[in-house]
Amino acid sequence: MIRTPLRPLARILRARANGENPDAIEKENRLLRAEAIRDRARDRAESRLFTLGLMFFCAFVAVGLRMGVVAGSVPEEPRAAVEGSPIIGQRADIIDRNGRLLATNFDTNALYAQPQQMVDPAGAAHKLAAIFPELDEDRLVRDFSGERKFVWVRRTLSAEQMQAVHDIGDPGLLFGPREMRLYPNGPVASHILGGASYGREGVDSAEVIGVAGVEKQFDQYLRDPANEGAPLQLSIDLTVQAAVEQVLAGGMTLMNAKGAAAVLMDVHTGEIISMVSLPDFDPNNRPRALLTGDQSDSPLFNRAVQGVYELGSTFKVFAVAQAMELGLINPNTMIDTRGPLVWGRFRINDFHDYGAQLSTTDVIVESSNIGAARIAMMIGTERQQSFLKSLGLFDATPVEMVEAPTGRPQLPRNWSDLSTMTVSYGHGIADSPLHLATAYASVLNGGTRVTPTLLRRDHLAEGERIVTPAVSAAVRDMIRQVVTRGTASFGDVPGYEVGGKTGTADKPKPNGGYYGDKVIATFASVFPASNPKYVLIVTLDEPSETSGPQPRRTAGWTAVPVAAEMIRRIGPLLGLRPQVDPAQLAGVSLTSN
Amino acid sequence: MSYLEYNVKYVPTGFRKLLYVNWAIVMLLAAVASAGFLMLYSVAGGSVDPWMGPQLKRFGVGMVLMLGVAMVPIWFWRNISALAYGTALLLLVLVELFGSIGMGAQRWIELGPLRLQPSELMKITLVMFLAAYYDWLPVKKTSHPLYVLVALLIILVPTALVLKQPDLGTAILLLVGGGTIMFLAGVHWAYFVTVIAAGVGGVAAVFQSRGTPWQLIKDYQFKRIDTFLDPGNDPLGAGYHITQAKIALGSGGWTGRGFMQGTQSRLNFLPEKHTDFIFTTLAEEFGFIGAFTLLVLYALIIVFCITSAMQNKDRFSSLLILGVAMTFFLFFSVNMSMVMGLAPVVGVPLPLVSYGGSAMLVLLVAFGLVQSAHVHRPR
Repeated sequence: MIRTPLRPLARILRARANGENPDAIEKENRLLRAEAIRDRARDRAESRLFTLGLMFFCAFVAVGLRMGVVAGSVPEEPRAAVEGSPIIGQRADIIDRNGRLLATNFDTNALYAQPQQMVDPAGAAHKLAAIFPELDEDRLVRDFSGERKFVWVRRTLSAEQMQAVHDIGDPGLLFGPREMRLYPNGPVASHILGGASYGREGVDSAEVIGVAGVEKQFDQYLRDPANEGAPLQLSIDLTVQAAVEQVLAGGMTLMNAKGAAAVLMDVHTGEIISMVSLPDFDPNNRPRALLTGDQSDSPLFNRAVQGVYELGSTFKVFAVAQAMELGLINPNTMIDTRGPLVWGRFRINDFHDYGAQLSTTDVIVESSNIGAARIAMMIGTERQQSFLKSLGLFDATPVEMVEAPTGRPQLPRNWSDLSTMTVSYGHGIADSPLHLATAYASVLNGGTRVTPTLLRRDHLAEGERIVTPAVSAAVRDMIRQVVTRGTASFGDVPGYEVGGKTGTADKPKPNGGYYGDKVIATFASVFPASNPKYVLIVTLDEPSETSGPQPRRTAGWTAVPVAAEMIRRIGPLLGLRPQVDPAQLAGVSLTSN
Repeated sequence: MSYLEYNVKYVPTGFRKLLYVNWAIVMLLAAVASAGFLMLYSVAGGSVDPWMGPQLKRFGVGMVLMLGVAMVPIWFWRNISALAYGTALLLLVLVELFGSIGMGAQRWIELGPLRLQPSELMKITLVMFLAAYYDWLPVKKTSHPLYVLVALLIILVPTALVLKQPDLGTAILLLVGGGTIMFLAGVHWAYFVTVIAAGVGGVAAVFQSRGTPWQLIKDYQFKRIDTFLDPGNDPLGAGYHITQAKIALGSGGWTGRGFMQGTQSRLNFLPEKHTDFIFTTLAEEFGFIGAFTLLVLYALIIVFCITSAMQNKDRFSSLLILGVAMTFFLFFSVNMSMVMGLAPVVGVPLPLVSYGGSAMLVLLVAFGLVQSAHVHRPR
């Protein structure tokens, strides 16, 4: 038995002593204690309830506030997060300098087959072969009836083709949505754009990757979702590009050339306004690379960037400009042009015999190899090399194309004094038309170096100085005279004040030596000569002008008239206003009666 | 403190009990249910079929059941609470063994024509039994470790069974509902602090176990948590519900698009539009004003329950009322939070509004118990 102690002991003892009943005291005390317990329990219950009520209240406030926040929010369609899903995300567009579309994307479908689910493999193969003539029916039958579970049939479909395949109605023929790259202008600017193809391919989507040109060079940028689809803007002007292509193609046919290239560059910024290489191709349907033979015969070959040629007399300008910059000569200095110039067992000849001597201007105007060689000897090998190097003629062009590094200049293996002489008139050194355009722009724009670019530049970056503005102006005056009274007389376009220098170089044979009847004809021009804006290089590969009794191949007869037609066409497109001298009216006077 | 210690002389008898029913709660329940009918009519594209009609019928049956339960003296319910709990537990075990599979979870048991969801039954019986347990237990022993352990077992055994089905939403409801009764009964603070600390640790353990062979919860549950933490992660997959729900709520704005004008829900952008996600329809069509009104209705029900519990001197009655109120509160607050992106998606319906038979019947029976406690309270 548990003995309950008597409480409160002191009072009970006192009560006992006084003879009172201690039980009453104990009972009273027990009641008090029970009440205290009950009070504590009630207090606790109330505090617990209060806590719970507070929690309820907080929850209500939270839910209510959230309601307000959500109600006040603007509904936004969900956007798929891009990280972790590299295959999605549209490839950015490519646009020209005025925002016109050069390359964009197009939703299409791929066609694939799951032979296990096909109802009539042979019938489907037959109908597919009827829709797509390039497919081999026998092969399709083999693919569809074998063990394979998955067969790609076509990478892209037109809407009509897709409908036709739908109409076959075979459940084993399935479509996979994907994007394709579309070049709305067809072959225009094909070499610059390059082309695109598919990388990783899935049935739900396929990765579009650049395979050449700008598309490959800027592949990462174009695919980067962080750019939010901002298009890539090139320096190309679509209309000018199209006009240059058209004129060049016509000229190439007329001059019976097997290839041609043209580069139009802004003299001050180095922006390439137009760059054409013929023959060209359609980037929407990019041809395969040649498996045999010379890659430079492929339409994929970009003659303007990758093709390095001996550019002939166009180089004389550099020798004269450098000599004037060094103060060795001035435009009126008389140069000894007695020929032939014999150096060891090598003889340098001129096209005509120009007599004992010519002024510097006439060396350019008449295009005297002997004169250029003598000027080069005055300059000396080292100074010539450093000058040409500063013009960028010794290295591949830094233009933003994957093909650019392959356009590496060919230089004399041992740079002898003879090399110095031949290089001065453009032999023994091979550069691309783009090299020439860059070097011309650098010399003629007032004498500061430019870097060629395919991207639109909004700021004019002043390059390092090559020659003084005075020398630049003097050279421009000389090449203007080439057009007015020299070898490029077909090049005069009224109002555009064309200045330029011709160059005709024999083509080298693959095993050494030169062909007698195959040339590279080049016309390097600047316009307007007094206030230069653009440099235009036109190069024809193996031209021959056949209107006369003898086929004529010199640049003056071939490249120059093509370039003149080009300038006539693109001058207005470029926004140049023709400067026509007011005619002198005969027989009219202010005081006429 | 036993019921008989109180003076029950003034407890009404016969049909006079009807006068003493807490009619305010009944009216509020009817108002909430009516909002549900409107919404079901709207999501069906302005048709009584297929959802509003049956829901109306069930509500009628439920109301009759509620009043029926209210007429039975509360001491009867207290006396059978252990039996009811045992039966529900047995059914839970049976469903584990013989139940049919629905939606990837084992929740139903077929009893002839009746389709029973024992976890719904457990929601009331657990509250009843715990309330009875603390009514029986002397107040002094409330915090004794042994008796706390007994209470924990009463809660955890059915919770574990429900979790195994798996039905995370109901399991949480049982756990928190039971915990609340322990809290209100006066179990010492230290236990709750310990449990909450252990819970945080457990959550950490669950996350740590991810990807290991002894992974503690299922992949789809991890996915729900991930989706909750960042719904934009997978807007067309697992985050679809939440994203679309938020769009619906946002497009409702402050005043809503108007009855039957909701696009998100009626154009089938939302799955489960008539069940767990019906709140989005309401928020889109009636805007913040409508949604907040519903919230206030719910809050009033809770307030009336708390008032009733405070007036009730009987320990079992007041604990039961508060337990039912807590369960009800958890239902709608978890549902609303989930829809509005405050909580992960767990399958908890919006009480009385979502389409669904057994949930509504169980809830109305639970309120029948509340009414019974209110009618038969010692005066």
